[in-house]
Amino acid sequence: MRRTIGWRAGIVAAAAALVVAGCGSSATPAPATQAAGSPATTAAPAESTGASPSESAGAGTATAAPAASPSDATLRVGWSSEPDTMNPLTTYSTEATEVLQLIYDKLIGYGTDLKPKPELAATWETAADGLSTTYHLQPDATWSDGQPVTSEDVAYTFTTIKDDSLGSYAQWLADFAGAETPDPRTVVLTYSKPQAFDPALAIPILPKHIWSTMDAKAIQTFPNDTPVGSGPFRLVEWKKGETVTLDRNDAFWGAPPIPKEIIYILYGSEDVEAQALKNGDVDVLTEVPPTVWDGLAGASNVKAVELPSFSFHHIGFNVSDAAGSKGNPLLKDQVVRQALSAAVDRNQLVQIALAGKGKPGSTLIPAGLADWHLEIPADAQLNGDPEKAKSMLEAAGYIDRNGDGIRESKDGKPLEFRLIAIESTGVDVRAAQLFRDAAQAVGIKLDLTTMDENTLGSTVYNTESPEWDIFVWGWDSGVPDPDYMLGVPLCSQIGGNNDVFYCDKKYDALYAQQATTLDPVARKAIVDQMQQMFYDAAPYIVMWYQDKLQAYRTDTWTGWQEVPGGIVFNFTRDNYLDVTPAK
Amino acid sequence: MRIPRPGYLARKLLGVAATLFAVLTFNFLLFRILPGDPVRLLARAGNLSPEAIERLRQTFGLDQPLPVQYVIYLRNLATGELGTSLTYRRPVAAILAERMENTLILLAAATVIVVLLGVLFGVYAAARRGTRVDSGTVVSSLIFWSLPTFWVGLIFVFILGVYLPWFPISGMSTPGAHFRTPIDAFVDIGRHLVLPTLTLALVDIGQFILITRSSLIDVLTEDFILTAKAKGLSRRRVIWRHGVPNAMLPIVTATALYVSLIVGGTIQVETVFSYPGMGRLMYDAVLRRDYPVLEASFLLFAITVIFANLASDLLYRYLDPRVRDA
Repeated sequence: MRRTIGWRAGIVAAAAALVVAGCGSSATPAPATQAAGSPATTAAPAESTGASPSESAGAGTATAAPAASPSDATLRVGWSSEPDTMNPLTTYSTEATEVLQLIYDKLIGYGTDLKPKPELAATWETAADGLSTTYHLQPDATWSDGQPVTSEDVAYTFTTIKDDSLGSYAQWLADFAGAETPDPRTVVLTYSKPQAFDPALAIPILPKHIWSTMDAKAIQTFPNDTPVGSGPFRLVEWKKGETVTLDRNDAFWGAPPIPKEIIYILYGSEDVEAQALKNGDVDVLTEVPPTVWDGLAGASNVKAVELPSFSFHHIGFNVSDAAGSKGNPLLKDQVVRQALSAAVDRNQLVQIALAGKGKPGSTLIPAGLADWHLEIPADAQLNGDPEKAKSMLEAAGYIDRNGDGIRESKDGKPLEFRLIAIESTGVDVRAAQLFRDAAQAVGIKLDLTTMDENTLGSTVYNTESPEWDIFVWGWDSGVPDPDYMLGVPLCSQIGGNNDVFYCDKKYDALYAQQATTLDPVARKAIVDQMQQMFYDAAPYIVMWYQDKLQAYRTDTWTGWQEVPGGIVFNFTRDNYLDVTPAK
Repeated sequence: MRIPRPGYLARKLLGVAATLFAVLTFNFLLFRILPGDPVRLLARAGNLSPEAIERLRQTFGLDQPLPVQYVIYLRNLATGELGTSLTYRRPVAAILAERMENTLILLAAATVIVVLLGVLFGVYAAARRGTRVDSGTVVSSLIFWSLPTFWVGLIFVFILGVYLPWFPISGMSTPGAHFRTPIDAFVDIGRHLVLPTLTLALVDIGQFILITRSSLIDVLTEDFILTAKAKGLSRRRVIWRHGVPNAMLPIVTATALYVSLIVGGTIQVETVFSYPGMGRLMYDAVLRRDYPVLEASFLLFAITVIFANLASDLLYRYLDPRVRDA
């Protein structure tokens, strides 16, 4: 989901990509998709939460309770890219997802602790076999046009997305087997396998009486200009290219949100956006580039925040076994990849390329997903140790045989590779240059070429005949759960998200196992094993886990919860509901 | 003004039609030979099923062979159907209409200022050829003309928007404001227009000053000016009555070209001031490979250029008898 790559390299749009559920690499124009096989099922610690009905029952009201009463104030949010559409089944933009999560409810949402909490489902319980979950809907829930929300709406939404393979949500429903509606406030969703990640955490519930009048094709071109939802806000107006305005939904089933109105304001330039925050024209910025962030950090009445994110940027090696692969076969030797991994200093990458705004990378799961990230001890990592890289290469017989400074394999093939990066993503280009220098120092030559994002995407994702050796890019997790990231390098994702064509059946088997393991502890063990396995195989060098940089005014609204992943543009919508006007 | 003979007008219009057709065809081909498949871009979330992708192709007519797409394209244009945006999933005509309106408001203000003041300063300098006033005008015109638009915009933001917070720095109107009267709303839009217009005027006025000046200097060396002076006419009358009308041709051409920008938008100004005009729409559309929006914008752009040229041709005939008789 979310756009990752760096601070908007250039333009956002390209990246507008990722979507929520979807995820994607951020940068990626990716691949379309993988079909069915890969259930992106993701797992989350859902179970534990869902379980205690007694506690969750009251939660809808309890959560927001401590706070102040609803105000008449407007919350103004500045962003640098706008939604593509208000149709949740066709959107590909992070911005639309952000707005739509305030208009539509999911069955289960996330709190500011990023743990599941009741949304449209007041309580839920999963059957002992893990194959079905019963959700009890909020008794007061109504659509913003006055119709009651019923179990039929939930059944319709899940069934239609599955049957018509709609939007990026369909990926969560690969194992979906059906819905039953014993009564208007109860719905039972059944799957063919246990779901460690409950899709109810990802899918917005749509009103059947509006959407069922359209077939799958009509839905594709439905702009949904006047969305009817059950969430805390309603769409008032979308002035394209300028603003999106929401106001409080007085029929909302939960505690009323404190802001009366939310206005998203589009800025064309980040410098101007920062000035607008200093001027007091906006209250919060969704994304700030590092240079601008430094300027805001000292401004009066402004707080600039740096939070861990759920993203990384990586160097990927073409290890394709396809007959038509035009990648350099020397990269299929694990030793060469590991030596490159040892040669490059990730601290230097973070300090120089990323201006220090992030953490050095290691495994596939970003450190921001603290519950799932495997911390490999420093002395067991391949990182910033050129001497080790040299000795590894020498031991494997890669020696400079002709004195040109570049090592050759035993049969005389030089260690010389093509390296590609996205031109507009400044941090990646800088990192690629540092990587090239580090490789040079251990006797490996890299030829760096930059290109636009679409071109890099179609070059990398040429499954039958990939004609490249090494690239620099990034991924963003669409859910606060390890499933998405772990699912990238699967054999079954070749032709899908798998951008290096890594394939290990054992890894795939572990993936399937973790996706259906409901016990978080048991699942974590498998997830750790997968991270270690992929780290050792080294088809990726995960360079860094970049931080999310945002900023807000302290004299207009107070009570921002600094959640990993961001105060806004995160999986929780609670900050929008709970911030209070400063006195 | 003498009405052009029908033969001339017919020939001109035929030329316009031929140009238009060539542009249409080129426009169609251009976006289909670009690298990058729009459906792949749309489907980038990953994990879309092949059926879903196929449905996207069908919905947007991308599953048809090129010649068929071409015929459909021409037929749709003939009926004014510009298609549906791949990104916004809304009719392209509606999107363009919104953006055109905004761009027209901005450029109408800028064009009037730039052309009127540019001509005035140009005449003023030419009439004082060789003096300090003249060389000062030329040098400052050159400086302004060569300033980067983006930079000038940011300077205005910092000085007149932040340091002296006199004018709003972004958008077309105050977000979320509720105005009691239409006049208040009008004033609000006017205030938002000040900085973008100033920026455009400062950067673009130089070319009009220089063109006017050099054209008028040429004219002022002609024999009929000498005659006019010999008749004892005042300096002012010589310049404005005999000089300026004869110096208008290059200015008309420059104005026609400048007006063509209306459709292309002024992307730098729109970016700095977050102004929702055509320039940013097209820029985003390029990045998102939004063919229908691009095709329609480029078409609109081409049509404006063609008709601005036609208008300047016709105006030439009015201003210059030599063209008329040719």
